[in-house]
Amino acid sequence: MAAKPLLELRGIDKSFGPVRVLHDVSLSVYPGEVTALVGDNGAGKSTLVKCISGIYPIDAGTVTFEGREVAVHSPRDAAELGIEVVYQDLALCDNLDIVQNMFLGREIRRGIALDEPAMERLAGETLASLSVRSVNSLRQLVSSLSGGERQTVAIAKAVLWNSRIVILDEPTAALGVAQTTHVLELVRRLADNGLSVVLISHNMNDVFAVADRIAALYLGRTAAQVRASDVTHAQVVELITIGRSGNLGLPPEAPNDFADLLPGAPR
Amino acid sequence: MRASPSQEEVRRHNLGTLLRYVHVHGATSRAELTTRLGLNRSTIGALTSDLIGAGLVTEAAPRETGRAGRPSLVVRPESGRVYAYALSIEVDRIRAARVGLGGRILEQYETARPPGMSTAEAVRPLARFVSTMRSGVPDDGRCVGSGVAVSGMARGEDGMVRLAPVAGWLEEPLGEALRSGLGEHGQISVGNHADVCALAEHSRGAAAGSDNVIYLYGDVGIGAGIVAGGRRVIGHGGYGGEVGHMVVNPYGSACSCGSRGCWETEVGEHALLRLSGRADRSGRDAVLAVVDAAMRGDSQAQHALRQVGDWIGFGVGNLVNIFNPEVIIFGGTLRDVYLGAAAQIRSRLNAIGLPAFREHVRLRTPELGTDAALIGAAELAFEHLLDDPLVI
Repeated sequence: MAAKPLLELRGIDKSFGPVRVLHDVSLSVYPGEVTALVGDNGAGKSTLVKCISGIYPIDAGTVTFEGREVAVHSPRDAAELGIEVVYQDLALCDNLDIVQNMFLGREIRRGIALDEPAMERLAGETLASLSVRSVNSLRQLVSSLSGGERQTVAIAKAVLWNSRIVILDEPTAALGVAQTTHVLELVRRLADNGLSVVLISHNMNDVFAVADRIAALYLGRTAAQVRASDVTHAQVVELITIGRSGNLGLPPEAPNDFADLLPGAPR
Repeated sequence: MRASPSQEEVRRHNLGTLLRYVHVHGATSRAELTTRLGLNRSTIGALTSDLIGAGLVTEAAPRETGRAGRPSLVVRPESGRVYAYALSIEVDRIRAARVGLGGRILEQYETARPPGMSTAEAVRPLARFVSTMRSGVPDDGRCVGSGVAVSGMARGEDGMVRLAPVAGWLEEPLGEALRSGLGEHGQISVGNHADVCALAEHSRGAAAGSDNVIYLYGDVGIGAGIVAGGRRVIGHGGYGGEVGHMVVNPYGSACSCGSRGCWETEVGEHALLRLSGRADRSGRDAVLAVVDAAMRGDSQAQHALRQVGDWIGFGVGNLVNIFNPEVIIFGGTLRDVYLGAAAQIRSRLNAIGLPAFREHVRLRTPELGTDAALIGAAELAFEHLLDDPLVI
């Protein structure tokens, strides 16, 4: 286990108008590890991911990549650092085949023409490195693939670009059991191959099955980031639902936090 | 005092090391072999030509390297010519395969094992498969022996299998039955199913590069293949690794072995099916159906899976505290049970495992899947060849 995080977020703030979505959030992502990002609906998981991937600018805080501070202003900046995101809807084009999808917008060219053989070879090698055997032909249309196979293609697309960090947003939602197990094993293999993986999930089994670390968000704050070997299922559920568990997590709210909202309170 | 090894012994050792390297890692350039094995270039050249002479490897120039300079020759195992027969007798099926040097399955056959069929009776279909395969082997093919994976306690030296069906302990001389069934075709090695799966995953699967590994194989019972310090732990009689019979609950139910509250009575197939209200069913598909139902929200199945997961955690925690493994692999039906109950398993392990032990343990599922039994069985047969490549 590497001691130094590849990506480190400190004190991230993000507001949409008057709504404070992220408040002093921190997150460390280590190479060769799966970091699970958990939290209730509206805890700020998706917003945090969009901040990391450069879709939303952050209001305050620092982003450190490989020990140096970086500014991520656009998805292109994130891609240059090697950060790839696989969204829940996968963002694949049904009317294109597997190779076309994997290289969409970043096609390899030879002169003015596309270098199809090179792209096909790279796509094949990437899928093989993930031990994917279920796909028959690389020239199959994505519309003909099952949910699990699509997820696999989307993940392979993210891995193709020598990426360092792959962020997966609920990769097993809406999959059958066989496909879920397949995707979980794939997620684990990515990290075992040396990548950093951030896994967003609501499913505690998925989290405990593959994660090395668990970061829990609670109402836009980091409740805790812990090793998966140090906590129990019940503790993580508490972190998600009330933001603390025993001596883990956020300090209890002082009663006067809301005092100014109470009628008759001194101003 | 022992004299230092003779030149001949050193050479035999080096030949074995080189052959083992290409057997495990596949085609490797001479240059890489030189750095990996720490031998000088001319030694590698001489060893390679000995192995080529014995028909165990081939050597060829690589197609393209994209680098300047004369490309280093690539050494490949003769997967198509040098092979072992791998046989697997499982609870519900019987499989046979021809596995080439390098761990490649060249062909395989499978048939169902009807309930009640004894281990010795399984030899007949196996012998049929082997003779089918034998007739198709190319003329220059070379068989190094046969390896057998059997679910049940197996003694390596003579292939005695001990089983405990409901009626008490039975001894079945599987090794003897195989020798008469298959005819004279090299050595026959018998190993426990979990043991050979551990061997396969350790050499080329999820535990490659780790020297302390526990492979837990689940079907009706639970068995473990244990690798400690790079060596298989099989015990005095060769029966070691029966973790399914460690007693975890003295007030638990009776076990087929005659004891009470063995681990497999709490986490085996019967426990899961009984808890989920499916006591009338059995087999791998029934277990998968419970995991499936739990994921779809069947509360009784979820409850069963959680309870079994908790008990799995108890056993795994004990094993972690005893062996301090780097990797634990969940195979057989335990693969699906693990992925469906990981929260409970991990939580219990975290609660009872000693911190220094549980910090670095990786919980994994098999990489070789159901092929592991066949590849591992072949590994048993290849072992003799790798120990002394020029002898056979």
